[in-house]
Amino acid sequence: MNLTLYVERDSIIHKIDPITKLIYCLVAASVPYIISEHMFTFFLMLISIALLFIGKVFRKMIPLYLLSMFIFITIVIIQGIFHPDNVTPLISFGPVTFFKEGLMLALLLILRIINMISAFGVLILTTQVDDLIQSLVKKGMSPRVGYMIGSVLQIIPHMSSMVSTISDAQRSRGLETEGKLSTRIKAFFPLIGPVIMNSLIATKERAIALELRGFNSRRKKTFLQDDKEFLFGKPCQLILILFFIGMIIWRILQ
Amino acid sequence: MKPIVVESLKYKYPGTDALALDDISFEVDEGEVIGIVGKNGSGKTSLSLALTGLIPHFFGGAYGGRVLVDGLEVRYSSVTEISERVGYVFDNPFTQMTAAKYTVYEEVAFGLENLGLNREEIIRRVEWSLKLLDLEGVKDHHPFNLSGGQMQRVAIAGIIAMRPKILVFDEPTSQLDPEGTEEVFQVIQNLANEGMTILIVSHKLEKIARFCNKIILLHQGKLVDFDRPQKVFSRDDLINYGIQPPIVTRVCRSLGIRDEKSGYYPVTVEEMRKLVKQNE
Amino acid sequence: MNEIKIEKVSFSYDQKKPVLNNVSLTIQNPTTAIIGQNGAGKSTLVKLCKGLFKPASGDIWINGHNTKEYTAAQLAPHIGLVFQNPADQIFKHRVIDEVMFGPLNIGLSKEEAFENSMRALKKLGMDKHSERNPYDLNLSEQKLVTIASILAMDPPIIIFDEPTIGQDDYGKELIKHVIHELASTGKLVLTIIHDMDFVAENFERTVVMNKGEVILDGPTREVFARGDIILEAKLDTPQVIQIARAFGISDVVLTVDELIDRMRVHLGDSFPLK
Repeated sequence: MNLTLYVERDSIIHKIDPITKLIYCLVAASVPYIISEHMFTFFLMLISIALLFIGKVFRKMIPLYLLSMFIFITIVIIQGIFHPDNVTPLISFGPVTFFKEGLMLALLLILRIINMISAFGVLILTTQVDDLIQSLVKKGMSPRVGYMIGSVLQIIPHMSSMVSTISDAQRSRGLETEGKLSTRIKAFFPLIGPVIMNSLIATKERAIALELRGFNSRRKKTFLQDDKEFLFGKPCQLILILFFIGMIIWRILQ
Repeated sequence: MKPIVVESLKYKYPGTDALALDDISFEVDEGEVIGIVGKNGSGKTSLSLALTGLIPHFFGGAYGGRVLVDGLEVRYSSVTEISERVGYVFDNPFTQMTAAKYTVYEEVAFGLENLGLNREEIIRRVEWSLKLLDLEGVKDHHPFNLSGGQMQRVAIAGIIAMRPKILVFDEPTSQLDPEGTEEVFQVIQNLANEGMTILIVSHKLEKIARFCNKIILLHQGKLVDFDRPQKVFSRDDLINYGIQPPIVTRVCRSLGIRDEKSGYYPVTVEEMRKLVKQNE
Repeated sequence: MNEIKIEKVSFSYDQKKPVLNNVSLTIQNPTTAIIGQNGAGKSTLVKLCKGLFKPASGDIWINGHNTKEYTAAQLAPHIGLVFQNPADQIFKHRVIDEVMFGPLNIGLSKEEAFENSMRALKKLGMDKHSERNPYDLNLSEQKLVTIASILAMDPPIIIFDEPTIGQDDYGKELIKHVIHELASTGKLVLTIIHDMDFVAENFERTVVMNKGEVILDGPTREVFARGDIILEAKLDTPQVIQIARAFGISDVVLTVDELIDRMRVHLGDSFPLK
């Protein structure tokens, strides 16, 4: 049980190195804010979706897209009806009128969101978290930060089982945890107290265990895993960065 | 050179008044297996922590006397330096996992990466540890998906991969079921056979009696006795220290079954049988 | 008389792997131990008795109360469960407040709760610590606080989950004393436990579970006579029995004193040494 969304597949996207994917993800998510063009954003979105297909993970994204539908509907309503620049009525349902300007903006926002979700999907669904962390640590990120990110992902799911044990123990002592809001509020401290205390004890013990295994060693860390051969690291990164700079220049020249 | 030398060690945790360790001195020879016994709060854990350097480096507090491990004075060395000489395993297998690795193999390699060893050496040591702890069958499992006994063995593997000469076990089986307890004690026996110097804190005196050459008896931070298990468990005043001798010893005391020469009672069934046989 | 009645109970956490499979058990004895390997279903069974989960099929009655009709909190006056790890429940800054938490929850007045709590603490020799912070106590003492916090609600039925784990000899002696005292005052004490010597010495009835089923149930002496089943359930044999067997004594002995008496007969005149 853990929080990572990695999906094991045999695809070329999985074989690209994590840093390249991270750069892709950042570039793809930010460029539509530099160039606010519908067609351009749509095109970027298609690229990310195509990458999801190549990575054989598109289906895993569907729930996420469905979830974002709520946001999309809200955007359409708010921008379509209420945007201050609205002048050209497009369509009316009784007293409610949607305007062209608002809807065009809503469309752009939606494209940007789908584009961003898809770009992050490419990174998260096809990259093992520890590969990404290890790559970042090798690039100079502090191993402590790397450790923190990695361990939180594993410890948080464990905390839910701790919370259920604590809840059992307090219910055994006559504490009601369900029902009225006031009952739930009263149950907060008896539940959260042991959770905090247990977490503090566990953190102290784990700090000791890490210390004993050379976590604070001043020597340069080495890595067990290095054999993973990633494809097209440098050329891809170069293209992405050039593209990004190109877009900024384009924007300034316009 | 003796692997462990403790001279007049005194220690007080920060913010407390009583001495947790009060003028403790003893020496351990290479390859000895030492049991540390005493009731809760007698200083067993503090003594273990002092051997690993976590006292005083991690816990702070007031410190006096000297602890030398493999010739290194603990007080003036870093915990990392000491950790290559002394390994420490405690009761909770779960918190000894880094929680940042996804397989047993990587988990065991964690300390070696921190020490900056080259890959060939890491692999050699990890495989040696896994073999010694009988973990080869689960090397690709996620550490959190193991039983308590297996997880504790992974913790031990991660420690011994760093090749310490001395191992300190602080109640290594107190959170395990009988099967896991047996697994872990079996492993400790194997490590002893490898010639490692071992100290074990445990309430399971039957196991201690079976595995240890010598026993340290602690009470209120003071060292009461340091001798063969037969002698320590034959003391008339053990009850004053909150300790009940192993069942075998209690039975033998009631029946007057003891070694004629030394006058001490046996601590294992095998010894008891031998003595009974001699007399029949 | 107090009674836990478990009737044809099945349960599973994920609707796939059954954890309990058609278990029926009526417990009236003052002291009963449930033993079995991890995963045998012991913990699940006692959590069902406490009403923390409800059986998927079958029923459990606690002194006539069907657990399906009450929340776990409502069952608190009828049945208490002492959890294994004190850290899972302690949250107050004074021992006395921690112990009074349960009694106040089940509707006792402040005065009654205080009185009950002090009485429970006294029974465990912990009344002198009533003003201390529970986090400053050692593990044995914390365990005694959690036991007191259940006793203070004065339930007629008390379940212990691994009472001896992490305890030193002194702590074990105290817990042993508490169990006997509860039994002698008419309470029903049930425990799930791995410590076989503690079972042999202190519980009159023993239930062996394996893979979600009860595979043996009876007076403790008869249960430990069935070495084959103890082995099948992957359990330890109590040391007193192991020692007796090492000397060819096949009778089941349960306590150190019994073992000594039996050995004395067995060895005849050769001991004590002159």
